[in-house]
Amino acid sequence: MSRGLATVSVATIGLFVLSYVVASSSVTRGTLLTMLPFAAALAIASLGQTLVVMQGGIDLSVAGGFSLYVVILTKYPAGDNARLWPAIGIAFLAAIAAGLVNGWLVGRMRLNPIVATLGTNALLFGAVLWYTAGIPTTTTARLARVGGGTWLGIPSPVYFAVGATALVTVVVKLTPIGRRFEGVGANEVAARTAGLRVRRHQSSAYVWAQILYFLAAAMHAGIVNQPTAYEGNPYLLATVAAVVLGGTSLLGGRGNLVATAVAALFLSQLDQFVLALGVSYATRTLVQAAALAVGVALYTVNWGGLSRRVVGRRPAKVAPT
Amino acid sequence: MTRRKVGALLAIALFSVGVLVSATASSATTNAVPSWCGPKKIKLGFTDGFGGNSWRLVTTASARAEAKKCPSVTSIDYADGQGNTQKAISDIQGMVAKGVNALVVFPDAGKAMLPALRSSYKAGVVTVPYRVAPGGKAGVDYNVFIDTPFAQAGENWGKWIRRVLPKGGNVLMLSGPKGNSQGVEENQGLHKILDPSGKYKFIGEQPFEVTNWDPALTQKVLSAAIAKYPKIDVIVSDFGPSLVGALPEFTKSGRKIPALATSDGNVLGCFWKKNHVKNPTFKLFTVSTQNDHARLAIDWAVALATGGKKPATTHFPSLNFEDSTTGKPNPVECRPTLPGDIYLSAELPAAVQAKLVKG
Repeated sequence: MSRGLATVSVATIGLFVLSYVVASSSVTRGTLLTMLPFAAALAIASLGQTLVVMQGGIDLSVAGGFSLYVVILTKYPAGDNARLWPAIGIAFLAAIAAGLVNGWLVGRMRLNPIVATLGTNALLFGAVLWYTAGIPTTTTARLARVGGGTWLGIPSPVYFAVGATALVTVVVKLTPIGRRFEGVGANEVAARTAGLRVRRHQSSAYVWAQILYFLAAAMHAGIVNQPTAYEGNPYLLATVAAVVLGGTSLLGGRGNLVATAVAALFLSQLDQFVLALGVSYATRTLVQAAALAVGVALYTVNWGGLSRRVVGRRPAKVAPT
Repeated sequence: MTRRKVGALLAIALFSVGVLVSATASSATTNAVPSWCGPKKIKLGFTDGFGGNSWRLVTTASARAEAKKCPSVTSIDYADGQGNTQKAISDIQGMVAKGVNALVVFPDAGKAMLPALRSSYKAGVVTVPYRVAPGGKAGVDYNVFIDTPFAQAGENWGKWIRRVLPKGGNVLMLSGPKGNSQGVEENQGLHKILDPSGKYKFIGEQPFEVTNWDPALTQKVLSAAIAKYPKIDVIVSDFGPSLVGALPEFTKSGRKIPALATSDGNVLGCFWKKNHVKNPTFKLFTVSTQNDHARLAIDWAVALATGGKKPATTHFPSLNFEDSTTGKPNPVECRPTLPGDIYLSAELPAAVQAKLVKG
C-alpha cells in the first residue's frame, strides 16, 4: 500500500467517523445516496487528471471539456431516448478531438501545459456557448435512470467509478504499456535513452483524460436533471485536489490511482459533512480550503526534518550555568 | 375600349379601393396602436448584461414583440453584454453612437453601470434601466427606473403558506448566491407575513440556504437539509425549475415531497403533474417569473421618446401564477411536448418560446 493510499484512506475513515459523531445527518442513507453519485463522477474525472499529472502535466481544460460533453449528451437527444446513443458517440468523438488538441500542443509543440490547456478550455467553452447559447436542456429519461438509479441498493455511478478505477489501475500498473507510461512520467531522459516514445506517451495522457471526463460527464448529466451549460466548472479545482490528496506528485511520476478515487470520496463527503454541520456558507468554504491545505502539507512538508530542526536546536541553546 | 368597359373597370377599381380601405381600417382597429406609442419616429436600443439563458432569451423576445406593437419604432437594436461588465458599458456607448433615441438597459452589474447610463442620458437619449437597481436618481442619471418589488413575491408566498399550513410549520428557503439582494428582499417579505402569527419556524441557514442557483449544489444542499430536519413543511425557492433534480431527494429518503412556493417554469409544472398523486403533501404555488418586466420598460422608453402616454406605474408587480390547491389564478400547467425551459406565465406564446430555446 502506497503512502498516499494509506494516508487518504485513514483520513476518509476518520472523516466518516467524525461525520457520524458530530453531524450524524450527513451519513444517513438519504444523504449517502446523494453524495455517492457525485463522488463517483468526481472520482472518474480525477482519474483522468491523475494520468495527466503523472506525465508532469496538468489539465485545466477539464471544466470546458466536461461542460461540452454534458451539453452534447442532453441537448442533442433533447428528451428523445432513441437519440441518446448517437449523442454518446458524438460526445466521445469530441472528447478524443479535445484530447488530441491538448496532446499535440503539449506533446508535439512543447507548450507549457497550463497555457495550452487553458487555451483549449476557452475553445471548449466557446463550443459549449455556440452549441447551446448557454441554455440548459433537461436530461433524457434513460440517462437520468443510469445516473440517478440504484442497483442492489447502491447508486449505479458507483459501479462505473469502481470499474473505471480498476481498469485504469490494472492497465497502468500491470501491463507493459502502462509501465512504460509511468516510466516516461517518472524520468523523461531515462525513458528517451531507453528508446521510449516520450512525446507520444505524454500526448496520450491528455486523450485518455478527456475520455474519462466524458464518462464522468455522462454520469453527472444523469445525476443532475437540469444541468446548466457550465457544469464542469466545479470539477477543475476538485479534480486537482483529489490528485494532490491522493499523493500523486504534481511533478509527475508514479500515480496513485486508487488513492485518487478515495480522495474524491473524501472531498465529496467533506462537502456533505460541512453542509450537515449547518454552518454558514463562508465557514463551509473555509473548512474545504483548510482540508486541502492540510492534505497538501502532509505530502510536501518534510515533517521529519522540520521536527528534527525544532527539537534538535533546543539543547544547543541552553547555556551552561 | 368602349365607354361601358371603361366604366366597368372604373367601378371595379373603385370597389377594390373601397374594400382595401375598409380592410386596412378594420385591421387598424384590431391592431390598435397602444396608448404609450406616440407619433414621433424613433430608433430603439436594448442592451442586456447577460443574455445566455432561456429566461433571458424569452425576455429579450418579449421586449422585441412589445416594441413591434408601436409603428413609430422604426428599428430595434439589441446587444448582449455576455456577463462582461466592460462589454455591457461599451454596448451602451455603441448604441448612443449609433444614434438610438431610446435605450432600455438590463444593468446586471448594478452600480457599475451608472456612469454609462448617465452619459447616455446626458447625450439626450431616453434611458430606461430596469430590474436591477443601478443606484443614481431618475431625472438626473436616467429617465426612469422600472423596478420590481422582490419583497412582494415573498409576501405572496407567505400568504399562500398561511392558507395551506394554517397550523404553522417549518419553512426552508433556498436562493442564489450568498447575500443576493433578490433573495434577501424576498426573505423580508416572507417574514413580514409569517412572523406576526408566531407559528412558522425558519430552518436552515438564514436568511436563506445558498445554492448559487446551481442544480447540482441545490441537490446537495437539499439532501443535507432533509437529513438534518425531520420535518420540513414547505420549501420556498426563487428559482423553481432548478428544484426538479433536487426534489426526488425526499423520495430517496423515504419522505413525501412537501409544499413548494416558488416561481414558474414548464419543467416544474410537469414534475408536479407526475408526482403529486404519490406525494399528497406536495402542493405547488408559483409566482410569475416576470419575463414581461421588459415589456413595461419598453412601454416607458417608447412613451417618453415618441411622445406617447406614460404607463401608470414604474413598478412591475409580482403576480401569482399557479396554485395547485385552488386552481386560481391558474391550475398547474404542463406542456409535455414543449421544452422544459419555457415560461407559461409569459405573454409570449408557448410555441414561440419553444422555437426560441430550441434554437
